[in-house]
Amino acid sequence: MLSSPVHFRRRNAIRTSAGERIYLTVCFLVLACSFVACLLPFYLIIVNSLVPAMDLSRGGFQLWPKTFSLDGYRYVLGNGKVFTNYLVSITVTVCGTALATIVTAMFAYGLAHPRVKYRYRLSFLTYIPMIMGSGLVGFYLLIVSVLHINDTLLALILPYVLSPFNTFIMVSHFRGLPYELTEAAYIDGAHDGFVFFKVVWPMSVIPTVTIMLFYALGYWNDWWLANLFITRTELKPLQILIRNIISRQQMAAIMGSSANFVMQPLTVQLVTVCITIGPILLVYPFVQKYFVQGITVGAVKG
Amino acid sequence: MPKVLRSVGRELRTNRYIYLMMLPGLLFLFVFSYMPLSGYLLAFKDYSLQKGIWGSPFAGLKNFQFFFSTRDWLPITLNTIYLNALFILFGMGFAVVLAVLLGEVRRTWLKRLLQSGVFLPYFVSWMVVQQMMYALLASQQGLITQAILALTGKTISFYSTPGYWRPILTLVYVWRFSGYYAVIFIGAVTSIDPAYYESAVIDGASRLQMALRITLPLIRKTVLVMVLMATGRIFYGDTGMLYGLIGDNSLLYATTDVIDTYAYRAMRQTNSFSMSSAITVCQAGMGVLTILLFNWIARRIEPDARLF
Repeated sequence: MLSSPVHFRRRNAIRTSAGERIYLTVCFLVLACSFVACLLPFYLIIVNSLVPAMDLSRGGFQLWPKTFSLDGYRYVLGNGKVFTNYLVSITVTVCGTALATIVTAMFAYGLAHPRVKYRYRLSFLTYIPMIMGSGLVGFYLLIVSVLHINDTLLALILPYVLSPFNTFIMVSHFRGLPYELTEAAYIDGAHDGFVFFKVVWPMSVIPTVTIMLFYALGYWNDWWLANLFITRTELKPLQILIRNIISRQQMAAIMGSSANFVMQPLTVQLVTVCITIGPILLVYPFVQKYFVQGITVGAVKG
Repeated sequence: MPKVLRSVGRELRTNRYIYLMMLPGLLFLFVFSYMPLSGYLLAFKDYSLQKGIWGSPFAGLKNFQFFFSTRDWLPITLNTIYLNALFILFGMGFAVVLAVLLGEVRRTWLKRLLQSGVFLPYFVSWMVVQQMMYALLASQQGLITQAILALTGKTISFYSTPGYWRPILTLVYVWRFSGYYAVIFIGAVTSIDPAYYESAVIDGASRLQMALRITLPLIRKTVLVMVLMATGRIFYGDTGMLYGLIGDNSLLYATTDVIDTYAYRAMRQTNSFSMSSAITVCQAGMGVLTILLFNWIARRIEPDARLF
């Protein structure tokens, strides 16, 4: 009797092995193809940024380039212009992430606190903008003619400070914490500020890191705000730098102009893309798990 | 009324530190999510920069008449719905496939590697995606264009042929987001009680049967939630994606121009704030209706999928 499940399993394994093997092969093929398709564009960009500018413009993008040179990198990093844009991206990302994380954590704490009477109404107000847009014109005029912060870094930072998605990641974490801890602190005479900063927040390292990463990614990858509000060259983030060169290239492609118009910028362009995604690729293996966690919590519970 | 005010006052006083901590968040929420709503008012006004939103004179429905008289409204609305439908169908569909198949991978390191790979595209901006697309599709230099030239002897000019762009944009969407949605669905797969699979194995089920009869029905709810949420927003085009990838390439507008990009151009390039606002008012109206409709559907078939 004891051995019967094993017996069943083995018999079935033999009987269905052909079908099973086909299924597993198909699985593996689909996954392998998706994996390659997802990574191929990254590979293509990185490898071709190392191709000499002349070969790139003559031969186009290559899967296996034969010639390599670091001239593109030497040119872009050597002329130093890109550092200004890099600095803008870094400043916006660092300041924005710090501000957004603190504001969001404090706000979410209130939404999650059982003693706050209006927490559900406020949560609803936070949730509404997530499903309904608020209109581009109103937003544009708000920045340009009400707040007058266009052409400053504030225009790149402030609009993204409170993300409902990230707020709900924090809310769902705070709701999961045992309320007894807060109560114990109250009994010891602590006020709410103390409870939050000294008791609750220190226990929330993982969700805090998660929303920090979401904010950092959002700030780093944003080009929309810069496209709308930044005209001064020295305030343009990296992403908009890529956009400007691309638009010129596309124009060339549309008008079918000769290759030499496209040639020089193309390598510069690829190098710029590489140094833009470089930091993301470097930290990706270490931070990926936080994103996975955050999405699983935020998307389903939010 | 004073009674209500008194109770609000009491609430604010007892929890004053909490509300103080919430204040910056509330301020940002109000300023950046609710104040822009005043822009909708412009749809009914003749906006001039000097007079501002409140000072400009009312214009009745002139802006709407103008928008509907251009005859652009139908193609951009259809494009918006069509593209979003393609994105939801193929994006979510492929994500489900990925999630189920990744669930079959037994070796942890391999599973982790594959998942990291398909999730990676989510992390790059549309600007970078645009460059990657260019590397594949550029008229003479692109990898795909070169391959087509070598195989058929024809040069295809993707950037000037609107017909190719629905499939291209769908592929790009699947590429960038199926890993993201797969992560959500994998979360649902891992929360399935292993006892189901154990008893299925004893009953002699094959892996395919288990995937079809256990995994899919049990993640149905999560998939439905995501699909309904996305469908509720079917009138909202992704400006970041479409303006990022297509930009001002007017040759492709026939298949790629959506309500949001149209409104953006009306505002930025022709400076018609009022008309742009009229467009977004129409969009918001249709948007609210679809959201209410799909919310109603969701309440019927899957209460957890409702938006509110």
